[in-house]
Amino acid sequence: MANFSVVDLSRLQFAITTLFHILWPVLTIGLSLYLVVTECLWLRTGDVGWYHHCRFWGRLFLLNFGVGVVTGLPLEFEFGTNWAAFSKVAGGFFGNILGFEGAMAFMLEAGFLGIMMFGWQRVPRAMHLLATSMVALGGSISAFWILVANSWMQTPAGGHMVNGHFVIDSYVQAVFNPDMPWGFSHMWVACLETSLFVVGGASAWHLLKGRDIAFFRRSLLLAAALAVIVTPLQIYLGDGSGKSVFKEQPAKGAAIEGHWSTNPPGRPAAWALLAWPDKGAQRNDWQITIPGVLSWLATGSLDGRVVGLHAFPPDDQPPLLPLLFYAFRIMAAIGFALFCLTLWTAWAGLRRKLGADVVAGQKWLLRAWVAAIPLGYVAVDMGWITREVGRQPWVIYGILRTSDAVSNLPAASVGFTTVGYFLIDSLLLVTFVVFAWRTIRKGPDFTLPVPAREPRRLSPEGHRANGGET
Amino acid sequence: MSNVQFFLINIWLVFLGLFLTLYVVLDGFDLGIGVLSLFVREDERRGIMMASLSSIWDANESWLVVLGGALFGAFPAVYAIMLNAMYLPVTVMIFALIFRGVAFEFREHSKRRPWNLAFGLGSLIAALCQGFTLGGLIAGPAVHDARFAGSALDWLSPFSVLVALGVVFGYVLLGATYLIVKTEGEAQRHARRTAWIAGALMLAAAAGVSVWTPLIYPFVRQKWFGAGVVSPFLVPPLFALFSSAMLARALHKRYEHAPFLWSVCIFLVSLIGLAASLYPYLVPESISAYAVASDSLTLVFMMLGIGLLIPVMIAYNAYQYVVFRGKVTGPHYG
Repeated sequence: MANFSVVDLSRLQFAITTLFHILWPVLTIGLSLYLVVTECLWLRTGDVGWYHHCRFWGRLFLLNFGVGVVTGLPLEFEFGTNWAAFSKVAGGFFGNILGFEGAMAFMLEAGFLGIMMFGWQRVPRAMHLLATSMVALGGSISAFWILVANSWMQTPAGGHMVNGHFVIDSYVQAVFNPDMPWGFSHMWVACLETSLFVVGGASAWHLLKGRDIAFFRRSLLLAAALAVIVTPLQIYLGDGSGKSVFKEQPAKGAAIEGHWSTNPPGRPAAWALLAWPDKGAQRNDWQITIPGVLSWLATGSLDGRVVGLHAFPPDDQPPLLPLLFYAFRIMAAIGFALFCLTLWTAWAGLRRKLGADVVAGQKWLLRAWVAAIPLGYVAVDMGWITREVGRQPWVIYGILRTSDAVSNLPAASVGFTTVGYFLIDSLLLVTFVVFAWRTIRKGPDFTLPVPAREPRRLSPEGHRANGGET
Repeated sequence: MSNVQFFLINIWLVFLGLFLTLYVVLDGFDLGIGVLSLFVREDERRGIMMASLSSIWDANESWLVVLGGALFGAFPAVYAIMLNAMYLPVTVMIFALIFRGVAFEFREHSKRRPWNLAFGLGSLIAALCQGFTLGGLIAGPAVHDARFAGSALDWLSPFSVLVALGVVFGYVLLGATYLIVKTEGEAQRHARRTAWIAGALMLAAAAGVSVWTPLIYPFVRQKWFGAGVVSPFLVPPLFALFSSAMLARALHKRYEHAPFLWSVCIFLVSLIGLAASLYPYLVPESISAYAVASDSLTLVFMMLGIGLLIPVMIAYNAYQYVVFRGKVTGPHYG
């Protein structure tokens, strides 16, 4: 019984640290790419306005980046501290991949961040662009390796168990496991999408206030233009991920949709739009279904066979079915909402309602953008809940049960650290939101000096090793 | 075991040693400056101290992540046992690193005082926890069937307290000598005085640890003096004494760079001494590197993805130091 609570506490702790942490890298990854775009635009067009975009959004980026780094530290070590048995079984592959993330991505971001943020007056423009690009590249590589590691836990491939260790036979198969292409692309595009709506939403707020219209109209239009590509792409990727889940992790797919009984051949499976799945009773307490739709969603064919939860013993079914059911629905609804907002914006643009003289008058459109700022974050957290709770009761799907993966620890230790993480992460989130809001509200600082084509020569005595010079 | 596997394991031990050294030296001066900031009254000077780290603290800390990932991949059981055994010091260290990390940016956005305290105390607690972890490692966690089999507070002992103090004094020495490089005038004079005190305290702690270790840990005694009183294990302490003498000379002559370099030398020989005392064990007396290493395919794959990047990582980190070389004169970050 004591062991039971260590598993629960460790799961809770990992959920807390992950759900908080992921909020920051999402913006780090998306906004760094956005900053590469604005810096390129500045260098290509010579328009100083773009330079000030680099500086203004860069300020938010720096604040965001620091919190992302420190909230990510726990995750590097929790596998060992809390999941020692898992680490021993999977370390040869999983640890290796985390090492790749550290050496190829984490270090790359950190190694160029200083130049990107404080080096405007110290290095040539091309070198600065290189630094910004390396920070952005590091963020995306980081997402890649983390999703490789996580997708391997969802659909382990490329090796077999020998004496309680997972031994890799083929790195190609393990890295490119069935879930990886979907998992990575869905997450990476989620980072872009969330960031676009943060930039666009913050810009819309300034436009509503009638401040710096030329400046913020530019960032809103850029964000909206990119959203035209990103939001439908994300719906396509979400659909593909879903079909992949039904193929590779049928119990997870059935749990997400509250689908209990496998449909007979030739009969399409009905889709529960809303329901209350009850694991104890092994059925939905109530449901509102749409006939036939689930076969199409899950398999792409109108009467495809969708295995129901009854095909799995309760011990192999995921827990917390209502959480899974609704987390998925909230995520998907947000994906469609952001797509609709993008369409609305495009429609307004086509009707010439977004011109510099009239954009501030589009009150409801701008308010919708402001309201969309948190939506991407909510969707990302709901998506991770769907992904990770749905994988249960396995830590490595079909190979190692979560209950067999924990460390040898007293529940008191894990309880102490879980409460600690919750308090610290909550404090960080509240503080970050307040400071980020102040940074955005302050608006751009047009007095910042534009870097010369070549940096001025600095004598060792005469320069400052910080941003004071800016 | 094949020759290839033997070779790969030893290569990875060298790489892990390199990552540990880079982390301890680089984040060491970083954390040391944090501890020192607790004793500074003027906000201006504290600002200069933090500004000297603004462009690099994050990269310095990243070596810990690289070290963790490499250990996890190359020796999964060691990663599992060590972190399981050191659950509380490691987790509290992470709490502390979170506070000191966000302090850099947060203090620019609000009242300074709480974040100054977060920076200073976070640095101190992180350094102490690293010391407890090292002390607990030397003591050797209880292991059964390649899993940690001890209890939650095994790492805590009078010995690990002494090690923890030694680590804090050592980091403060690194921090103070780094500030000699990065500052001038009154701040530099102050750093030099601090370096004297920290150096003396660290030397005392290191001497205590060196005498105490063979007395209470037979495997160390056997290793150090098994071949007679004159053993190769006398070389690291002798070289450490030499480096300390050179450090004192450099401080006395008011050199700017030499004190930091000699302090790094002291750390380097201490880590070499530690590694030589443990080799080939990664958990003393129970887990040998040869018994728990990942298979050759993994170690080769890691060579491609991490090993080959080592010179690249060092190069761009060095470039960042070059771009921000010179004295710090302003207290602002960002």
